[in-house]
Amino acid sequence: MTTATLSRWNRFRESFLWYSFKRDKVAIASFIVLLLMVFAAVFAPLFAPTNPYDLAQIDIMNSELPPVGMSGADPAFPLGTDAQGRDMLSTILYGTRVSLLIGFGAVVLQAVLGILFGLLAGYMGGKVDSILMRIADVQLSFSTLMVAIIVGAVFKASFGNLMFGEIAIYMLIFIIGVAEWPQIARTVRASVLAEKKKEYVDAAKVMGFRTNRIMFRHILPNTLSPIFVIATVQIANAIISEAALSFLGLGMPETQPSLGSLIKSGFDYIQSGSWWITLIPGLVLVVLVLVINLLGDWLRDVMNPRLYKG
Amino acid sequence: MKSDTPLLEVKNLDVRFAVRGGDLTALRGISFSLDKGERLGLVGESGAGKSVAAFSILNLIARPGYIAGGQILLEGKDLAAMSERELRKIRGNRIAMIFQDPMMTLNPVLTIGTQMVEAIKAHRRISTKAARDIALDKLRKVQIPSPEKRLDQYPHELSGGMRQRVIIAIALLLDPEIIVADEPTTALDVTIQAEIMALLLDLCEQENVALMLITHDLGVVSQVTQRMLVMYSGRIIEQGPTREIINDAQHPYTQGLINALPQMGEPGARLFQIPGSMPSLKNVPTGCPFHPRCDFATDQCRQTMPEYVRSGNVDVACYEVSNLIEQEKRMQEAGS
Amino acid sequence: MTSPLVEIRGLEKRFDLSGSLLEQITFKGGRFQRKQEAVHAINGVDLQVHKGEALCVVGESGCGKSTVARTVMGLLSPSAGEVHYDGQRIDNLKGRDVLPYRRKMQMIFQNPYASLNPRMTIQQTLEEPIHFHRPELSRDEVRGKVQEVMASVGIDPDWGSRFGHEFSGGQRQRIAIARALAVDPEFIVADEPISALDVSIQAQVLNLLMEAQETRNLTYLFITHDLAVVEHFGTRVAVMYLGRVCELAETKTLFAEPRHPYTQALLSAIPKLEDDRPNYIRLQGEVPTPVNLPSGCVFHGRCPYANDRCRQQIPQLITTDSGTQVACHAVEEGRL
Repeated sequence: MTTATLSRWNRFRESFLWYSFKRDKVAIASFIVLLLMVFAAVFAPLFAPTNPYDLAQIDIMNSELPPVGMSGADPAFPLGTDAQGRDMLSTILYGTRVSLLIGFGAVVLQAVLGILFGLLAGYMGGKVDSILMRIADVQLSFSTLMVAIIVGAVFKASFGNLMFGEIAIYMLIFIIGVAEWPQIARTVRASVLAEKKKEYVDAAKVMGFRTNRIMFRHILPNTLSPIFVIATVQIANAIISEAALSFLGLGMPETQPSLGSLIKSGFDYIQSGSWWITLIPGLVLVVLVLVINLLGDWLRDVMNPRLYKG
Repeated sequence: MKSDTPLLEVKNLDVRFAVRGGDLTALRGISFSLDKGERLGLVGESGAGKSVAAFSILNLIARPGYIAGGQILLEGKDLAAMSERELRKIRGNRIAMIFQDPMMTLNPVLTIGTQMVEAIKAHRRISTKAARDIALDKLRKVQIPSPEKRLDQYPHELSGGMRQRVIIAIALLLDPEIIVADEPTTALDVTIQAEIMALLLDLCEQENVALMLITHDLGVVSQVTQRMLVMYSGRIIEQGPTREIINDAQHPYTQGLINALPQMGEPGARLFQIPGSMPSLKNVPTGCPFHPRCDFATDQCRQTMPEYVRSGNVDVACYEVSNLIEQEKRMQEAGS
Repeated sequence: MTSPLVEIRGLEKRFDLSGSLLEQITFKGGRFQRKQEAVHAINGVDLQVHKGEALCVVGESGCGKSTVARTVMGLLSPSAGEVHYDGQRIDNLKGRDVLPYRRKMQMIFQNPYASLNPRMTIQQTLEEPIHFHRPELSRDEVRGKVQEVMASVGIDPDWGSRFGHEFSGGQRQRIAIARALAVDPEFIVADEPISALDVSIQAQVLNLLMEAQETRNLTYLFITHDLAVVEHFGTRVAVMYLGRVCELAETKTLFAEPRHPYTQALLSAIPKLEDDRPNYIRLQGEVPTPVNLPSGCVFHGRCPYANDRCRQQIPQLITTDSGTQVACHAVEEGRL
């Protein structure tokens, strides 16, 4: 077992992926930044000075304190506080966690739907292909916002505002996942169409393997690299979608803020001089999305079969 | 009709490819010459470097490849040292190239006529009308039916054999002195291949054009060329008159290549086979690159690269052959 | 003669070109018309493969030889006609009923670079079919079987944990052959198994296929465009042109005495080592597209012996004195 994992590690060390990663400073920097952000967000309860979800720790008297370095700042709140007196640093850490969770969750849902439908459409072809791809077209022609408004309204009406706060994360994952699966489905379908012409698929058919086995065991692993590339970019897109929805009040409630709802909550106070409540989470969002996109670009360059022939 | 300086002379050409983990040597000390109107065959399996050799004659090696040493002399002028501008005057004009895939030369969105006229006008200051006339004349030479019509057709409207004829016509447009043909018939069917090969041969003879034919097909080489080079792992291992090599190959690799052909074997019997396969450029063996597959390999073969020795009119790089020759010499001396 | 192992009767295969119903409808001259086009890849082929023989199917690209192979293997379903294995019709079998034949019939593909799954190790590639077809075997038995089959094709069994791309083309083709042999088939369809390989490797793979035939008592349907290989390898030869068999004979008879004008042209076009010039029977034009088949004999447009009967009536296979079956009016009438 150890020899197997060791050889896998060696294989990775010798791979083109690792080689080009080592030489790409932008990719390395992006990866480090992303890693730090994910680490900080995942272990937010360990790093955050306060728990923003705990009402007992919040004192309204501390509201709208500026970040350290400005007059009137309290060193207990390095990035200041928001209008409710919550520590901005803690809120941002927890908010990043929510944003990342929704981003990953939505992409996992997209990937499941997209891979399934893309594989079926590409491999079966004919009527199955036409029907699935038309559904995808229809899905894409609805904007994510529209789906979110409708689904949000339905959820709010059926669960009530209190319950809604608890299930908001799942709702957002569902909305963004469902709204964006056609992107992945199309990518998968395109690479399945290319793969299924190759002779190893014929060889599997000649062996008598059943369709499911050929699709999932033989074709799917060979379509993973484009899925990997697009999924990376989709995480960034999902985080932005979530932020946009939250900013419009369709997303996370303020009691459980994501980066988007933080930006929104600060937006009302930007006129009164409390710019940090909006600007700092905004910067965090930009950096997060930027590093993911940079990594996605790098991945696309590396995995592009036209550039790289193994 | 041999003049003193050959038309084209390649001297000690080294071509390398800069890749991660150091340089790969694609061509090592390639030397050969091509006389006016001579037909030279370049034989080798994939990975032997024969296409690289063809491209380097036109100094067309693309990054990460580069010419690391040696000269390519066209009537005494070194192509390896020329600027891109000077090279453009030679490419297509004095040296033309024919590729395996016609679509590499033909632009799918332009008519045949437009492409031919453009090719002429890039090198000569003449009117479109005159250029078109030249194009028509060349299309007639390659025996394309109704050439006037073809000028206004697009490449995809022609069949594979027809396209390859157009490519030959384009190669002939500016009356080149040398045509380099890289596997010109490999993509074609047997019957079409025979026709195209015969056409190319006739045209080269009529126009006194030198032909450098790169192919893996020994049958074609024996039919078309006067002299041949055999390449292995970036090196020329044997060169000389085609008939002499085909009938009595000296290098064990050339012998194996010829004997492995099904037409040489007794039907139904086991074919002669060379064990193993050509080494990749990443790990070329020391000494003679063929030694791991050679029945005659000795320690000498494993350590140092053999120099060329002459046997008859053939130059061979093989210790076995040079040892045999020396033995014979000694025997003769002892006899006299 | 005993009953054939594989029999193809009246096989036809058309590929629809016209797309969906909407795409078929065109508006022409004020009326809607439904236009359907199809590629006629095979048009009525009858073949019998006898136990222990190697039946070679030769022809140029587009003659339908690969379609025959794929239809026999069930990768394509025939538009008309039947495929029988050992007396049992197999082209209409579904689901589990096919499985026993999947074990008995195997296929080797042309392109060794595409026929191995790039994400599977060699061990996985070879284990999967054995597991699938013989679930009663234990892990160790399967592993033993894989080792044995790898050794029998000349691949070191210790290399099982490597991936396909770590091997050379010839080694990959050996692995592909090992995969086919792993389930102990009786009958193997080989679709141009050596045409993507280098000359010296071709001999190795041909030898391997012949060895396997001897030791495992295999029957081959061997698809190729290379007549030299056929002469060496085949027991009998079927020559195909535009989806029809035009000549079927014992290999020796066919090469000694080709009857059909197309076979004669094809044989003359092989570049031979002893020839000094291309020396071939010239055919007019090129192969017509299989979309609009010519009337009568499919070869009449290029045949030097064609007359009115050839242009109108489709020739059937007739048996000559030497046992050759040939579909040609000229031969039948004694004009040739």
